[in-house]
Amino acid sequence: MPAGVFKETYLELMGFLRYPIHRYSALLAAALLAALPMLADQFLVTKLAFYMVFLVAVIGLNITVGLAGQISLAHAALMGAGAYMAAWLTLHGVNILLALPVAALTAAAVGTLLSLPSFRLKGYYLAMASIAAQELLFYVYQRWVAPDQYMPVNPDAKMLLGLDLSRGPGLYYATLLVTVLAAWTAANIGRSGLGRAMKAVRDNDVSAEIVGINVTRVKALAFAVGSFYAGLAGGLLALHLSAIDYDNFTLEQSIDFLAMVLVGGAGRVVWGSMLGLAAIMAGQSMLEMMFQGNPVYRYLLLGAAIAFFVVKEPEGLIAVLRRVKEYLRLWPFSY
Amino acid sequence: MAVDVVSYIVSGLIIGSVYAALALGFNIVYRVSKSINFAHPALVLLAAVVAYLAVSSGAGLAAGVAAAVAVGAAASVAVERLIARPLQGRPPVSLIAATLGAYYVLKGVSMWLGGGSIPQGSLYASGWTLRLGPVVLGATDLLAASLALGTVAAVAALHRFTSIGVAMRAVAEDAYGAAAYGLPVRRLTALSWALAGVAGGLAAVAIAVKANLSPILEAYVIKALAASLLAGLDTVAGIVVGGLVLGVIEQLVMYVAPMVKIGPLDFAGFHEAAAYLVMLLVLLFKPYGLFGTERVERV
Repeated sequence: MPAGVFKETYLELMGFLRYPIHRYSALLAAALLAALPMLADQFLVTKLAFYMVFLVAVIGLNITVGLAGQISLAHAALMGAGAYMAAWLTLHGVNILLALPVAALTAAAVGTLLSLPSFRLKGYYLAMASIAAQELLFYVYQRWVAPDQYMPVNPDAKMLLGLDLSRGPGLYYATLLVTVLAAWTAANIGRSGLGRAMKAVRDNDVSAEIVGINVTRVKALAFAVGSFYAGLAGGLLALHLSAIDYDNFTLEQSIDFLAMVLVGGAGRVVWGSMLGLAAIMAGQSMLEMMFQGNPVYRYLLLGAAIAFFVVKEPEGLIAVLRRVKEYLRLWPFSY
Repeated sequence: MAVDVVSYIVSGLIIGSVYAALALGFNIVYRVSKSINFAHPALVLLAAVVAYLAVSSGAGLAAGVAAAVAVGAAASVAVERLIARPLQGRPPVSLIAATLGAYYVLKGVSMWLGGGSIPQGSLYASGWTLRLGPVVLGATDLLAASLALGTVAAVAALHRFTSIGVAMRAVAEDAYGAAAYGLPVRRLTALSWALAGVAGGLAAVAIAVKANLSPILEAYVIKALAASLLAGLDTVAGIVVGGLVLGVIEQLVMYVAPMVKIGPLDFAGFHEAAAYLVMLLVLLFKPYGLFGTERVERV
């Protein structure tokens, strides 16, 4: 009988639930998430579901930026493509659950188009190209797609077998299901051949090319997958809101997404995104409550926090979490 | 008709020269640090707000310019010291995110100075106009254009003719080589950033004179990135061409767009987005611009 847990195959090492504690905490988390609408109050549950929408978007950006190293500041605009597509489909009588995949695919198509500059450019040049794309798409939304700022979402399309998906437990469970599926897929992309190819392109594109990775294809796929998630998040946003406002898809929202990825932990697709989202969105909500929506402190403190984290903690909050876990593991000894 | 076009082109040249000055900050920083300072738009906004506050407190335009220059230089050096220097050698995405953080901070400071939001108002008003045939130029146009072109010329001259300018260029070209010749690389890098801040401050006054102070002032600076790219990110004097071309394109789009209608799409107002389209096209087809050095780096 071995004392401890030993891994004998690579497959075991790659598993999501490697140690008993993983299994217990996964069970506990699943039970907690499933029972939450019974435990917590309505406002909190809806807020959490709303955060999950953005989590899906951040996971997408974390694939593009963290795994594949392709900088994108157009993520909010891609989310907008999905949101408007979903809203438009519901207005034509399509059920929201059918509209979701269509919205995601629309955004993926737009995102693949936006990957064109990445074939020749990288780093700062690519970032500037994505800023230009973000602003152009924003112009399109503002002038042509939704000239009156709001595009309504048909509430009748948010029903499934008599269950209203636009509020209460229905909304929570629908969002939770999509988010968990999205996160699970994203985690699997990270440990698949595609994910390893993305990491190779991120770390050194020249050597990736030399070992036989089709760099162009990987870059295009990185953008496509990332924007698929953005579109999915946009579709979920259409599920949550009664009208789509283009102010959700500004350059600043894109900047916030990038900040969430880097503050949380680029390359750690699920946990990094979750930490970054929690830190920044919770920080924003708190600042909003403390200063009654005065935007000055949001800019000052959020900006300072982003700059501080990127400079002082290159790996993001995930590294802080790792240190905390290590400390707790060794406690009460220091090493 | 032709007369209209001429006056559109002339106003394109005016705003284009301001674009050149706004873009100068990006280029100076790119030369020396090989990075884009995404905090620059907010730095310009901050300098403009400071200039506006100085002017509206009755200190006169000259004091406003001085205040803008001082604040611009200080903010730029702070960004260099606190963000760009510690991040040296790290991947671009870190620097992009960190300077975007600085962008938020500087924007927050400008809003705080304005009492919760960016103040709106004009920096300089005069009814004086210059009439050249069909073209009418206001005093603000001439003041903004001459301030902007003067800024670019001064920076180009500093780079070309003074020994400190030559030293700055040396550091930009090859930091190790410059260090081997005994040049204080760090101090010269900081000085280059300060110069970018000074140029940003002067450009801030120019754009605030031309287009009044408003929250959308920073959009002009983001658009000025297109001028930077058009000229090539590592040129200084070439930026004038980039700026003027961008300004004229924008104005011509403004002239043509209302007549264009494709199906249900109405193109009136498309000039607001024209700069971004130029930026995207330049990046797709000629990423290193007209005067930039081409780096052969293909994957």
